[in-house]
Amino acid sequence: MININAIHKSFGDVEVLKGVSLTVAKGEVVCLIGPSGSGKSTVLRCINGLESYDQGSITINDRQVDVASKDINDLRTQVGMVFQRFNLFPHRTVVENVMEGPIFVKNEPREKAQVQAIALLEKVGLGDKVHAYPQQLSGGQQQRVAIARALAMQPEAILFDEPTSALDPELVGDVLTVMRDLANEGMTMVVVTHEMSFAKEVADRVCFLYGGQIVESGDAHTLLTQPSHERTQDFLRRVLNH
Amino acid sequence: MEFSDITAFLPILLKGALITVQITIGALLLSTLLGLLLALMKLSPVRAFSITAGTFINVVRGLPIIVQLFYIYFVLPELGIQLSALQASIIGLGVAYSAYQAENFRAGIEAIEAGQIEAARSIGMKSKLIMRRVVLPQAIRIALPPYGNTAVMILKDSSLASTITVAEMTRAGQLIAASTFQNTTVYTLVALLYLCLSLPLIFGVNRLERYFGKSAKGGKS
Ligand SMILES: Nc1ncnc2c1ncn2[C@@H]1O[C@H](COP(=O)(O)OP(=O)(O)OP(=O)(O)O)[C@@H](O)[C@H]1O
Ligand SMILES: [Mg+2]
Repeated sequence: MININAIHKSFGDVEVLKGVSLTVAKGEVVCLIGPSGSGKSTVLRCINGLESYDQGSITINDRQVDVASKDINDLRTQVGMVFQRFNLFPHRTVVENVMEGPIFVKNEPREKAQVQAIALLEKVGLGDKVHAYPQQLSGGQQQRVAIARALAMQPEAILFDEPTSALDPELVGDVLTVMRDLANEGMTMVVVTHEMSFAKEVADRVCFLYGGQIVESGDAHTLLTQPSHERTQDFLRRVLNH
Repeated sequence: MEFSDITAFLPILLKGALITVQITIGALLLSTLLGLLLALMKLSPVRAFSITAGTFINVVRGLPIIVQLFYIYFVLPELGIQLSALQASIIGLGVAYSAYQAENFRAGIEAIEAGQIEAARSIGMKSKLIMRRVVLPQAIRIALPPYGNTAVMILKDSSLASTITVAEMTRAGQLIAASTFQNTTVYTLVALLYLCLSLPLIFGVNRLERYFGKSAKGGKS
């Protein structure tokens, strides 16, 4: 359903994506790994049009992603995004954060949006925090609210950009559990992560990004245990030994 | 203090108070509009706008308000721009305070983290909706308490209009004191009247600060 075809992207003179191609089928979970600055976030941001790309093409269900087009907001409702720093709206309660999109973007009636929001919050284990403000929650709880907010738009896919990197180690597990459940339910997911055990267990496919290119990709087990490319081997040795 | 003095002075002082209120409201409105314009110019990606606004703000902040008033009241007529003393005082204070308002508004808008705006875009919100639902509600919460403080400052500085012959409350007091020599009575009354105007504003600001502090402040996560 997501089709990235040889995209290039430069910031000023620096080319940060040098022909990245990636196809994600419906229901597939793809993990993107790679060193800092390799372009992982940029790939995700291009997919839902937070960033434009210079060459190549990205389609979502055969519709072109074009930042300048009128269509882009509609496409964004189909692909959710979860950020490293949660990015909740601090002036709204947890349930209001989750209802914001359904009410103001999809024009759903408030009652219906609220019932759905509460159900989603229960699903991510926050049924008792519905009326709290984000800053009253731990990072792990905030991130689960952010996942519920993305789910509330009933997207066909969700992009995760290092969703657990800003969390204290003991809070990582709850977030990963929610993500694992989503994967088991058949959600299409593209996950940038440094959690190799999560990638190994949940991902259908892992892509290793280096210097703006996908150097190696393959099924999770093979790539993580028997990488064929030297760069991948180096990278994995470093993250697994730290 | 004689009670008869008080009843004799009070109506005159209250007339002055009315003009004080007029200057304050006029200058507050002018400084708000001009301040918003300056803030948006300063945040503009067009460099000509941001440089113009920045220069204007610095010049205005670097000048004593009283000098700005003299300039508008005494110098502009020589350039063919005639203003009444009341108009000159409103414009003078409005322009002087627009620089502070601009910085206040800018701080409010800039305090909203870029990540929130991206999150809003990622659920399909359009720019106008993001402005209305994400940026402005937070910017107003941040800017409102300093805005109230600015209103108090303008109220107090409206007394500067007395230096360009506007018969606002301070000037009314000076005139009565000069002719009756009842300095204590007159200036006590003047001080009390200023407090009647400023204290409710100050309490209002404090309440706002408490209220916003309790619900959601800033974007700390
Ligand atoms: N808005 C921007 N302007 C200029 N350069 C940028 C911008 N965003 C990213 N870059 C650069 O593009 C390159 C790729 O960045 P990107 O954020 O995609 O990397 P990443 O793989 O997500 O890294 P990390 O693991 O640190 O998050 C980096 O060199 C970064 O400095
Ligand atoms: Mg990144």
